[in-house]
Amino acid sequence: MSDAVLDIPSRNRTRRSRSFWRKPWLLSAVLLVVFIGINILIQPRFFSAYALGNIITTMLPWMLIAVGQTYVIFGGSIDLSLGAIVSLVNVVVVVLITALGGGPGAMVLGMVAGLLLGTLCGALNGFLISAFRLQAIVTTFATSIIYGGAALVVLPQAGGSLPTEYFTVYSEGFFGLTLPIYLLVALILVAAFVATTRYQKHLLATGGNRQAAFQTGLPVRRIVMGAHAIAGFMSAVAALCILGVAGAGDPLMGQAFTLGSVSAVVLGGTALAGGWGSVTGSIIGAAILALINNIIFFSGIDYIYQAIVQGGIILAALAAGVFASRRQK
Amino acid sequence: MAAVLEASDVAKRYGAVVALERGELRLERGEVHVILGSNGCGKSTLCKIIAGAVPADGGSVVLEGRSVAFRTPLEAQAAGIATVYQETGLVPTLSVVDNIFLGQEPGKAGGRIDRKARYARFEMLIGRLGKLAAHLDPDTLVGDLSIDQQQIVEIIKALSREPKIIIFDESTSSLDRAQVADFFALVRALKHQGTSMIFISHRMEEIFAIGDTVTIMRNGRFIDRRPVSETSRDELVNLMVGSALQQMIEARQSHRQPGKPVLSVARLSGGKAQGISLELREGEILGLGGLHGQGQSDTLLALYGGITRRGGEIVIAGKQLGGSTPAAALKQGLVYVSGDRGRAGALRGRPIIENLIVGILSKSSKPIAERGKLRAQVRPVIDQLKLKFGRLSDAIETLSGGNQQKVVVGRGLATGPTVLLLDDPTKGIDVRAKQDLFALIDELCAGGMAVILYSSEDMELIDHADRVLVFNTGHVVAEISREDLSEFALNEASLKTAPAHAEQQPAHV
Ligand SMILES: Nc1ncnc2c1ncn2[C@@H]1O[C@H](COP(=O)(O)OP(=O)(O)OP(=O)(O)O)[C@@H](O)[C@H]1O
Ligand SMILES: [Mg+2]
Repeated sequence: MSDAVLDIPSRNRTRRSRSFWRKPWLLSAVLLVVFIGINILIQPRFFSAYALGNIITTMLPWMLIAVGQTYVIFGGSIDLSLGAIVSLVNVVVVVLITALGGGPGAMVLGMVAGLLLGTLCGALNGFLISAFRLQAIVTTFATSIIYGGAALVVLPQAGGSLPTEYFTVYSEGFFGLTLPIYLLVALILVAAFVATTRYQKHLLATGGNRQAAFQTGLPVRRIVMGAHAIAGFMSAVAALCILGVAGAGDPLMGQAFTLGSVSAVVLGGTALAGGWGSVTGSIIGAAILALINNIIFFSGIDYIYQAIVQGGIILAALAAGVFASRRQK
Repeated sequence: MAAVLEASDVAKRYGAVVALERGELRLERGEVHVILGSNGCGKSTLCKIIAGAVPADGGSVVLEGRSVAFRTPLEAQAAGIATVYQETGLVPTLSVVDNIFLGQEPGKAGGRIDRKARYARFEMLIGRLGKLAAHLDPDTLVGDLSIDQQQIVEIIKALSREPKIIIFDESTSSLDRAQVADFFALVRALKHQGTSMIFISHRMEEIFAIGDTVTIMRNGRFIDRRPVSETSRDELVNLMVGSALQQMIEARQSHRQPGKPVLSVARLSGGKAQGISLELREGEILGLGGLHGQGQSDTLLALYGGITRRGGEIVIAGKQLGGSTPAAALKQGLVYVSGDRGRAGALRGRPIIENLIVGILSKSSKPIAERGKLRAQVRPVIDQLKLKFGRLSDAIETLSGGNQQKVVVGRGLATGPTVLLLDDPTKGIDVRAKQDLFALIDELCAGGMAVILYSSEDMELIDHADRVLVFNTGHVVAEISREDLSEFALNEASLKTAPAHAEQQPAHV
């Protein structure tokens, strides 16, 4: 051609390395190391099997809900009812297992019903949002009141009790490792698998540019609804885990998890606007939140000031992440 | 010969706005069918209906003898229709490969994506595009690409679906001369394989270069269909505008006498621009030319403060530019208008009126915005650019692509700038409106405004610039005076390389 004067350099692939530095979870991983360090300083026995097992048990529900929330946020939506779903599933499972007589069959049935209920609650959120094009924040805020209210109807006050087998199995586990450790590994594996699927790609596309995703031919409504259903399911799993520790029902159990999960997602580097982020980051983000709790607990700070300090640390961690990512660009 | 696709009597209205009244299109196998018409006449709407992105209110679409009514883009794709939409159809947060194969990812068991197969198919596609995609890295996020590169990604995405029919809705609007030539080579190859294409463009020379048949539309109606070889530019404009022939290419009125210097730039660097020096006088239109991405846009952005400046001195009307933010530039009358309305221009989801007044608002120091006064201020701009809209309170997305661009330009003009920086501003604006726009700019220039105009269209520079600085790899490699301006001169100059001494200019500390 006539413009052979322009030499075209060979296609450059150096950008691959740059894309590594843009991994959303990178900064949160650094923060995680920092907070583990602080924990070791104030709690020298942090790495003992017992302390580690303990902290994983407390972290797990946070991680599960944060992962569910991540999928929802990937798709450009948000779910403020996850905490209420935790509460509702929590009390329904306790009441159901008790009503069915508390045997092994009753426990399995109760758990399955709980998982189903959570998934349905999430799917209902997704349906309302995508079928009627309602605002996710307001819609899920409203359903959170409904789910929370239903929990109070099912079990007005904390109480009821589960058969002891439920929590002994949960805390003793198999082959010397507690059940939460297996669940954590399973969570990481499943999330890693999902990350390689078309579904996650389509979800991110929907959150990144809904119009484009639609014009490309993706079933955007179903995709968003699916994410909400997954989040509901994850919250139900979290509710079952919480029961494994508490052994009794509590209709107000879930409240803190809603915004906690959003914080974990943001700490993990996922964009609230949707379309960009990582599930790994959210798992790390949830771990960071739990470690901050741990630091507060062992620091001997006066109880009444604990919340203030906790909020301050979360804010600092967030700011550190934001500043670091700005410098990088 | 039976048509591959035949649309007749297609209608579409949005509330009170009639977008399409009687659309008609007859696409033959293996042809490039141009749709021509002014901004807002319903071209994109017709394409969206064919592509299944928007449901029609009436009319029929017959594909290969079968009557169809696609309810989703997916159905149209399955039937072999791929579309490159006018407003971006890409996801900025995903990578180039992610976008190209979105929804069509080669799969493995369990719904996983076969990444290796995807890269292999990517390389294959790239091979078909030749030089056009030579620099494209599959892992870059689309949001990090320049707008011309994004357009190329969209073209590859459409190709990857192996369609029988491809709709290109202003797919060349962000490409420069060399890129358009490469794109046309691809179109010819596709034609050879029997692919039928619908091609929309406001650039007349492109229509004659690549079109086989042209359908002319006006105000949502089909007007006429002609073989391109049997028509002329004047006839087309006539059909399109529907009134007696205007002196479309009238030479610019008497040459202006540039006044005193208003802008002087020394050794400005930023982005790709390196050590740019220039002088601008009152009433002058200084053109920036050369191939895409050689530092023209970055020069304008660095001036305006849209990207970080690395050294350089800027003096506006005798005063040093104070500050490096767009706000500071705006205060001193330096206004930037982008052709990239998707990213830098339009306030998405906001009313047309807000989009128009936001420039005036950020310049003024009054704490309270007076609605009536502001409306009065933007009214002349709306009238002169012949903006086609439903109501001023409608969201900007309800405008056709060209009309959105008019809003973005109008917003800059309404502030009464001292120096106007135009970064490929007429993207998607029709021939007639372009003329109106430049008439307005000329008028403002007569009143002392100075303009720097970057354009990817040579004709625009030739018609309107007083002189042109030609860029290559971040440097100014040539200056062409008005007398010497021609397509040939621009073409030749764009291939020059920077003289060695330009690299050795002392770095400004
Ligand atoms: N979503 C919408 N809501 C309301 N009006 C719309 C919408 N989309 C398009 N319109 C109107 O329909 C008309 C036709 O628009 P269309 O996009 O088809 O024009 P076009 O011929 O592609 O113009 P351009 O050359 O500027 O791209 C315009 O007047 C526009 O304002
Ligand atoms: Mg259009």
